[in-house]
Amino acid sequence: MAVETLDGPPTLGLLYGRALLTARSGGATLPDRRLDLPGVRIDADAVADYAHVCGFGVGGVVPPTYPHMLAFPLQMRLMTDREFPLPAPGMVHLRNVITQARPPEVGEPLRVAVHADRLAAHPKGAQVDLVTAVVDQDDAEIWGSRSTYFVRGAPAPEGADGADGVPAAPPEPDPHVGRLPHAIWTVPGDIGRRYAAVSGDVNPIHVNGLAAKAFGMPGVIAHGMWTKARALAALAGRHGPAFTVDVVFRAPVRAPSKAYFHTAAVDGGWDAKLVSTKGKDHLLLTLRDA
Amino acid sequence: MATTSSSASSSRSLPRRAAIVGANRIPFARSNGAYARASNQDMLTAALDGLVARFGMAGEHVGEVVSGAVLKKSSDFNLTREAVLGSRLAAATPTYDVQQACGTSLQTTLLIANKIALGQIEVGIAAGVDTTSDAPIEVNEGLRSVLLAANRAKSTAGILKALSGLRPGQIVPEIPANREPRTGMSMGEHAAQTAAAWQISRRAQDEIAAASHQNLAKAYDRGFFDDLVTPYLGLTKDNNLRADSTVEGLAKLKPVFKPAGYPDTEATMTAANSTPLTDGAATVLLASDEWAAERGLPVLAHFVDAETSAVDYVHGGEGLLMAPAYAVPRMLERNGLTLQDFDFYEFHEAFASTILATFAAWEDPIFCKEKLGRDEPLGSIDRSKLNVVGSSLATGHPFAATGARIVPTLAKLLHEKGSGRGLISICAAGGQGVVAILEA
Repeated sequence: MAVETLDGPPTLGLLYGRALLTARSGGATLPDRRLDLPGVRIDADAVADYAHVCGFGVGGVVPPTYPHMLAFPLQMRLMTDREFPLPAPGMVHLRNVITQARPPEVGEPLRVAVHADRLAAHPKGAQVDLVTAVVDQDDAEIWGSRSTYFVRGAPAPEGADGADGVPAAPPEPDPHVGRLPHAIWTVPGDIGRRYAAVSGDVNPIHVNGLAAKAFGMPGVIAHGMWTKARALAALAGRHGPAFTVDVVFRAPVRAPSKAYFHTAAVDGGWDAKLVSTKGKDHLLLTLRDA
Repeated sequence: MATTSSSASSSRSLPRRAAIVGANRIPFARSNGAYARASNQDMLTAALDGLVARFGMAGEHVGEVVSGAVLKKSSDFNLTREAVLGSRLAAATPTYDVQQACGTSLQTTLLIANKIALGQIEVGIAAGVDTTSDAPIEVNEGLRSVLLAANRAKSTAGILKALSGLRPGQIVPEIPANREPRTGMSMGEHAAQTAAAWQISRRAQDEIAAASHQNLAKAYDRGFFDDLVTPYLGLTKDNNLRADSTVEGLAKLKPVFKPAGYPDTEATMTAANSTPLTDGAATVLLASDEWAAERGLPVLAHFVDAETSAVDYVHGGEGLLMAPAYAVPRMLERNGLTLQDFDFYEFHEAFASTILATFAAWEDPIFCKEKLGRDEPLGSIDRSKLNVVGSSLATGHPFAATGARIVPTLAKLLHEKGSGRGLISICAAGGQGVVAILEA
């Protein structure tokens, strides 16, 4: 796989603009290259802004979902290329698995590497995985993630399922929680805008009601990674520094709305679910300590 | 019964026991009513001055005054000190503030009692106050961060840049809500889950509520509160009191709190079997026996022991208001007592269902085995000894003032009886609980 090393983080607003305005050629296969951004340093103020929006404390360990903020511009850079097989606007996050070997430190030099794989058919369109590795100075991967994105109505690539030689996705997390919610979330109406401001993820389905409807959503929806972040914030202090947290995003969480959060301490970690007040699953989560 | 354990209690060998000498509170008022214009400091000062007048302590230098409020303005950082400076106590009386949600003034009583027991002070006043009417209102979180950023900016340009973050929506203020920050659930929603888990019936809750009102009304009628309460702003008794409350009448009210996660369970909690938001202040005078004797003041009861506990309610390990169910057995054990060794039970009625769930837990062999590690359940209490002169459902519940209402109530009941022992239990927000034993 070819490696393209970047001088600095791509600007997300420009990428979205390009994605919306440029005619796409939409290749049939994934780009065979990896984007590398060396010399990344986590900024304490940016972490504080992120922590305020997601419910983490400030000044402790860097939130385990925070490195996604470093990776997302690179993911967008890959996905907004003219030849990328799927269109970026309106993309929906289906699943995110994070494996953390140790929390990153504010200010330490890190390299962020992103590539795409597992382009596959989905019953209602097509999906693709974006894989991120955050590597420290000793070349150790301290944090990795795999995000699965879905595009409704996108043509399923021919023979793409497993064709790239990457093993199929592991079974989805199957959390076992009690029927009692242990928390009731009040999802603010402006959470899409607020999360967009700290993440740069200005996907229209999160910030504008009309745009969200145009992409087949019932209205503005909260970012999946915000719901994952908030769920992990609720478990802060109750798991070790090294773990894998696997989340699938089901029915989108509308903003504003209320939702029930169910948690259960299990052997070696936590199970959790976010469920709508009508009983629809929003988020399924398993966290297992390494 | 009261004689069985004095040896066990004294084996804890405290230097001495603090005496409860007397008390004063103002009548409790329903929110946004009689005390709508009074601040925490106003009410606390009034309650202190009533105590000073009752015991002839004008100009007296008290060892210390400890009080607190749950809903407190940032300008009230020295609430108790300010109240003392405005009272008729000696201005040289030291103070500090404590906040432990609804457990605040049982905790301040414990703090004063411990200093007296250790001989560090001879006399002290424990108190608590709360207003839900004159509540602190905070600016919107968005506005707050813009203003703080502007405040941090060092140049005019920086200030202007920060202020450019102002938005019309930020004008909406934030009013404190009775919600647990980590669960987003109100106390009532938490209590409704616990009530459903323990299958507490609507009728049992209404019986507790009706008894609370009837007992409080009878106590006022026989003058029980004459030396415990001083009129304030036109009130002579708690204005939440409905003397004619009956189980049948209360059964007509619509339930308010639905238990989340129990879609098939009927809601059982109403405005009558849940405490209303209330304003008020209460004080307790504690001293050494010698201090009381020198002044010819009676000792109503002694403070024997107390226990504070907390439960992990955040991920459903236990109900939010169930901490006393754990604190009481530990305290009983330490004192060589059983749950039945008491003449009076003063249980704060946050919700009728809360005390009923606590009783159910103590009667349940599985809970007692699995959660408390006991081979035998604690058993039942004699309900005729429960809240015999009414409790929070009837008086109302200004959060931080409730402990300082209950302590003198129990002390006076024990004093009237001549001897005996009483148990106090208060649950608090954040999954905490404070319990205590008094003896006469």
